[in-house]
Amino acid sequence: MNEFLFTQVLTELEDAVGRENCSVKEIDKVTHSVDYFWLSRMWADRGRRMPEADFVVSPLDAKETSKVVKIANYYKIPITVWGGGGGTQGGAIPVCGGILLDTKRMNKIYEVNEEGMYIECGAGAIYKHVEWAANERGYATMHYPSSLTCSTVGGFLAHRGIGVVSTKYGKIDDMVLQMEVVLPNGDIINTSSAPKHAAGPDLNQIFIGSEGTLGIITKAQMRIYVQPEVRKFRGFLFKDMSSAFKAGREILQKFKPSVMRLYDDAETASLIKKIVGVEKPGAFMNVAYEGVKEIVDVEEKILLETFARYGAEDLGSEYGEKWWKEKITFFYPGHMMDLPQLFGTMDTIAPYDKIEKIYHEMKKAVETNFPQAKFIAHFSHWYEWGCMIYDRFIIDGKDVPQDPVEAMRLHNAIWNLGVRTAIANGGVVNDHHGVGIKLGRLMKEQYGPAMQVFEGLKKSLDPNGILNPFKLGL
Amino acid sequence: MNISEKSKKIIDSCRFCWMCRHVCPIGNATGLERNTARARALGASLVVRGATELNEIADNVYECMLCGACTNNCMTGWDPKVFIYELRREIVYAGCAPEYIKALISKRIESGNVFGLPVPEKLTKAAKKNGKTLFFAGATAVYKAPECVLDALGLIEKAGEKCAFDPLLNSGADLWFLTGKTKETFDAASRCAQALSGYDQVVVYDPKDLAFLLHECREWGVEIKTSLVSFNEYLNNLIDSGKIKVNKSEKEYALQDSYAYARDLGDCESGRKIIDKVGVRKEMLLIGKEADAAGELIMREYMPAVIDAAARNRWTSAKNMNCFTLVTESPDEYVTLLATKPENFEVFTLEKIILNNMGE
Repeated sequence: MNEFLFTQVLTELEDAVGRENCSVKEIDKVTHSVDYFWLSRMWADRGRRMPEADFVVSPLDAKETSKVVKIANYYKIPITVWGGGGGTQGGAIPVCGGILLDTKRMNKIYEVNEEGMYIECGAGAIYKHVEWAANERGYATMHYPSSLTCSTVGGFLAHRGIGVVSTKYGKIDDMVLQMEVVLPNGDIINTSSAPKHAAGPDLNQIFIGSEGTLGIITKAQMRIYVQPEVRKFRGFLFKDMSSAFKAGREILQKFKPSVMRLYDDAETASLIKKIVGVEKPGAFMNVAYEGVKEIVDVEEKILLETFARYGAEDLGSEYGEKWWKEKITFFYPGHMMDLPQLFGTMDTIAPYDKIEKIYHEMKKAVETNFPQAKFIAHFSHWYEWGCMIYDRFIIDGKDVPQDPVEAMRLHNAIWNLGVRTAIANGGVVNDHHGVGIKLGRLMKEQYGPAMQVFEGLKKSLDPNGILNPFKLGL
Repeated sequence: MNISEKSKKIIDSCRFCWMCRHVCPIGNATGLERNTARARALGASLVVRGATELNEIADNVYECMLCGACTNNCMTGWDPKVFIYELRREIVYAGCAPEYIKALISKRIESGNVFGLPVPEKLTKAAKKNGKTLFFAGATAVYKAPECVLDALGLIEKAGEKCAFDPLLNSGADLWFLTGKTKETFDAASRCAQALSGYDQVVVYDPKDLAFLLHECREWGVEIKTSLVSFNEYLNNLIDSGKIKVNKSEKEYALQDSYAYARDLGDCESGRKIIDKVGVRKEMLLIGKEADAAGELIMREYMPAVIDAAARNRWTSAKNMNCFTLVTESPDEYVTLLATKPENFEVFTLEKIILNNMGE
């Protein structure tokens, strides 16, 4: 873009959101160019600059967002939406430059509705702040991912996020009532006033997980819950993973714990040993159950009886309570994997008849083809019909190429192999981190001809292709 | 850029970590991505790697209150303040400080305070040389909250205590804030230490001054030959010893924890003890070390709208918990909360609520 046209666009964006909310400063471009995606971090670590936006805008609400979208449509400039930047898939990186739309100015808590049991808030609100708003009235959001403190409501919705008490309370798509969305043509729409209806497909579910490619979520009504009277923990050690899956499946047919997390031998011997202190070999499983005390007491009895039949060693409540206290510690620098290591989380999900095979096949594929990689996994979100794998590969810094291009080649080769193995065995591209630019190429392999549904939506809603290009395989 | 290995390690740990974003009062006030510890670390890491210039990050390095919320929140114990102070020093030495910072430094050099103000006449009149105890008000209170200083002096007098008072004393904490550990900061701290050392006891009004004298001066080997006492502790002693008699009222007060008291000095109780003696204590959701900072008056000189927005956020927290009267324990937060006070809310200093509830 020539200087004259650049300045023209800049003044129009300033007119839309206010001069102080439109930046072309280097510091703003740089800080919006690196998210939690390993490749972006590695690129910056090697002293390279990631692709940067030309303009960084922070609209106040849907109206200002609409104005920005209309400008972008007219000049055919890409828009990349940025919430907290805590995504692992590169979904928020402005790979084509253009406009970076940061949602965090849309952070207003509009209403804590105790009768309707929801909080209406701007999509740029940090979820922890929504939690605090709920806590001030004695409620809770029950959405507790490791990124609770750094990610936004819109970010969780756009990537279909999930928290640690999901088995009882659900995923983010279970927690939203209504959303306000700005379409790629600038129109502002509201989804239906309640999510469970027969008035056609659920509009919420079209935009949840769309990663900013079909519209920009600007406001949402998020559910709140009564705080449980009691929350109890129990740690177990299984001799093998098969017994643990069977025990988990059976318990889910009887009641819903809030937390269910099964760690494979490798992760039990590494992270769980380091943070929670479990020293014995085996597969550690932490279960939490909560709610009204009388019901919880009954659930505890059922849990202990059921797991005993599968040979689980009852470790008592101590490890589970320690895990709850330290549940976010895992993700701080010094505990979490970090550069110079090469690492990634290939989370996938499948029914119980496939999940164990997927785990073993992915582990075998990664460890056989990349012997320098360590493979660890846990299974952290469970349903009556199946569960997800949070499997991670880790390569020590000494085995990671310093050349950023070679490092990218290695990174992408592992991802291709791991995710293709998951898909071939009945898993899906991703469970709750999204697709972004990291996995976009694999979406067609996942969906085949079904991909035309997403492509049709994209073409119809965003004919100029301005919203978050090269993400989600669209 | 000449920064320590310790700072480099913190920078490389914080540059890809967002976990403390939610507690930054500046980030919460602006909603800007750059107002996070991770953004400052990322910028600094790119400077270290030669991918950008120091002057490109200078503004952002000064968009920090240094309240320590990020440090307190870090489960791993990283302290972003360490590299912020070093970056400020390097920015000043490199001559690329923003113009508004250069102006404050110039005022400090020319007038002895960053606000460039003369000592208020009423405080000049209140100056006293005699006494074994010194009441050290600090530059922020003297120039920005003189009424609070007069209240404090009045209370001390009512207790029958004889304290010396010199409104011109400046700890050097203001230079520490603006320039990190420079020769000028060290010299200012040394001059202050020498002046304080003539007394048996020094009662320090501003907790930021106390934290600076106790921590930085000690670390730098600046010897202070006196006993330093916080104003909160001093007030509690006056009440407990019976030198001040107070009546306990039914009025509800919520403490706005000073970040210097709570995080730097580890004292979350002394202010609450005073409230408990004169009224009924209410609490906001985030208190003690977790409390949001509500003001920084040096920063208010160059980012007034942002600092006031941070103070208004604190009022929102108070409102959400039905706390209608806030009590401050630092001059910075008293001034900003007073300036942003919503209708039907009140803000007092600790000395004021004692004065308002004094018995016979």
